[in-house]
Amino acid sequence: MLRMQNIAKRYGATLALEHVDLEVAAGEVMALLGENGAGKSTLVKILSGLEHPDAGSIEVNGAVRAIASPGQAKAMGISYVAQELSVIGCLSVAENVLLGDTTIGVFRSQSRLARLARPYLERVGLGYIDALRPAESFSVAERQLIEIARLLSRKTRIAILDEPTATLSETEIDRVKAAVRALAAEGCAVVYVTHRLGEVFELAGRATIIRNGRSFPAVATSSVTVDQLIEMMLGRRLDQMFPERRGGGGDELLVIKDCLCPGLTAPISLTLRKGEMIGFAGQIGSGANAILKMMAGLLPIQQGSISLHGKPFTPSSAHASIAAQIAFCSDDRKRDGIFAARNLFENLTAPTIDGISRLGVIDRTREAVRARGIAQQFDIDVNKLGRLAGNLSGGNQQKVALGKWIGLDPSILMVEEPTRGVDVGARAEIYRHLRRQTDAGLSVLFSSSDTHEVHGLADRVGTFFRGRLIDLAPASTMTVESMTRAITHPDLAA
Amino acid sequence: MIPPSLSVSLRQHLSRDAGQWPAFIVMIGVLALFIIAGAATPSFLTFGNALVIVRAASMTGIVAVGMSVITLSGNLFALSAASLGAFLAVIFAIVTASLGLAAGVVAVIVVAIAAGGLQGVAVVITGNPIIATLAFGAAFRGLASILSSNGVLRINGAAAIWIGTGRPLGVPTQSWAFLILTVFAWFLIRRTSLGRRVILTGASRDAAHASGIGVDGVICTALVIMSLMVAVVALFTVCQFSEARANLFSGYDFDYIAAVLVGGIALRGGEGSPLQAALGAILISLLENLMLLNGFSAGLRIAIVGLVVVAATGTFHVLGRKHR
Repeated sequence: MLRMQNIAKRYGATLALEHVDLEVAAGEVMALLGENGAGKSTLVKILSGLEHPDAGSIEVNGAVRAIASPGQAKAMGISYVAQELSVIGCLSVAENVLLGDTTIGVFRSQSRLARLARPYLERVGLGYIDALRPAESFSVAERQLIEIARLLSRKTRIAILDEPTATLSETEIDRVKAAVRALAAEGCAVVYVTHRLGEVFELAGRATIIRNGRSFPAVATSSVTVDQLIEMMLGRRLDQMFPERRGGGGDELLVIKDCLCPGLTAPISLTLRKGEMIGFAGQIGSGANAILKMMAGLLPIQQGSISLHGKPFTPSSAHASIAAQIAFCSDDRKRDGIFAARNLFENLTAPTIDGISRLGVIDRTREAVRARGIAQQFDIDVNKLGRLAGNLSGGNQQKVALGKWIGLDPSILMVEEPTRGVDVGARAEIYRHLRRQTDAGLSVLFSSSDTHEVHGLADRVGTFFRGRLIDLAPASTMTVESMTRAITHPDLAA
Repeated sequence: MIPPSLSVSLRQHLSRDAGQWPAFIVMIGVLALFIIAGAATPSFLTFGNALVIVRAASMTGIVAVGMSVITLSGNLFALSAASLGAFLAVIFAIVTASLGLAAGVVAVIVVAIAAGGLQGVAVVITGNPIIATLAFGAAFRGLASILSSNGVLRINGAAAIWIGTGRPLGVPTQSWAFLILTVFAWFLIRRTSLGRRVILTGASRDAAHASGIGVDGVICTALVIMSLMVAVVALFTVCQFSEARANLFSGYDFDYIAAVLVGGIALRGGEGSPLQAALGAILISLLENLMLLNGFSAGLRIAIVGLVVVAATGTFHVLGRKHR
């Protein structure tokens, strides 16, 4: 169905793609893997007509074609679903499914559109929804499925899905996977970009790996292991994903007693020790991050008491929490984790402007020393501190978003989804940095929808289901399976 | 606490200011215009004319420098500047006429801080700087009209006249004020912790809030700084003409905004420096002067300045996109 050969693309001095081949057959799901910056997105842009290759040929259905524009790509049956969904919130589900369909005619009553959209919705497992309701009233996962229904309605022959499951929880992911299978079953060639290597094996027959702008011949997923895939992506062995635990547990630092806040349905009590790392696992909406947000002063505390360093503490505002040296790193890095248009000196010192100033005037030497100190701790290239944060890779941005808090000398660092949008190599690095901080006496609370991450990284693990803390126990007493059961069907776990 | 490698840190100190390219473009534009104009217009390249240009730019420039702080904080513009100027001018004239110059100056400063703070609160609450300041502008103009009973308020006194017309070292007081306030605002934004907070708030309000920066306070402060700059201009203008009227500065808001735009300060906030607004004001003044010397009609001059603003904004936008 699709054959791209010898594709090369240069942006100024940087060679984004050097030599890439990609072949996908009709009805096949081809995983496209690679680290951030390897060239995946450039390849995808070329395929969807947003960029033009400098060299190479593209064959669609056996004929050599040039894809000059996104409109032309669409005419050839190529559809691209970006991470930022293009579902229009104020339009009805039916209108979204049939968006841009010019064959329906001018008279488009809502009920007729709903009737036409129905079969497509059913095929992606959305048969139960009211197609007349606006799309914005549905969850992210459902909107993702609406987008796939649109691909079906367009008789898409080549579909490119860019990390469709990045922000979804496990059960939602299963629904998206089913929809992707339905798409392939219709004879569509699917290019599936993902960072979640687990789903590669369940979904894709073959995988194409890109490293530094060069592709490897596609490998059958049945003949490789996860470690081999990672090795091909990184070009080296990843010795260890998760760092050694040193058995955290100094004095009691934070005691939360019978606390309730929006997002929780049952009160929570827990104790965090100095140098300890507690991870909360739960699907999105399970309340796993609620305690974090409450401690950060972003959610009101409705009941219960908190003591910090043995003294009562009320996180009444973000400011109050920061003043108490509690740092919070949200899961939305682009929105509030970094200052994309400013350099790393300014990013890394943002929470501690007063600490680098004398009488209200910024001391540039102090600023440079502090930024360099953080950069060294987090393996950020000190010669790149003058760069804008927005120009860094996802992994480096996450290091900046986390690292900036170290300057505050926090007693508790709270992180939501510590490795969202971070590729596998940088992920291991971030785990190592977090562990190094707890070894130095910092306490860490984090929440994640990635059960493996929580199990592998935390000293103690909490599982959340529908706003309840199901279990809080040392990670060594849990397995990934028992945790997965606890966050999906806790009643069966007993 | 000396960095391990001084050479690296020095290089970083230098390279981190490399993002100032719009300022350089404006400066090159100013120079190019100077050379073209100098060659084509005989009376242009004289010290006297240079003073005329800077003097003409001064009153607009001071407000534009204040305006740029608001733009940098991510709040576009205050559309109340001209009306606030008239309001402050009327207050200055009334208080000076009855209680003396010193009292007049104090009154203007106090009212300016209050007016800036109130507008800041309104901008924070509404989340819309344009609408909030537009409404305040109407209120200020109305108050100026009431307080002056729509008449001309006169002031007298040697000190006031010197402030308005004095020329220390041969340069008008207004131009000194422009120079000093530009350097002050540049230092404030680039080198102080308050300036850093303004820039970071403009770069990302959410990230600034998450980093513990009191963004609401920062926005109010930006409005207060701008109001104080307006107060300075109101003071100089009343002293220069020895009178105040409620219709002072009418229609000047565009000039202030034009200077910020021609200076290439990013509208999304968080990028640029007040120096650029000052250069923008000088560039426009230069252009006006050139057209005046060449006998262009008033209508043509306004149209050309308008087109220059459109061209500059478009160019910076395209360049800014490329830059990323």
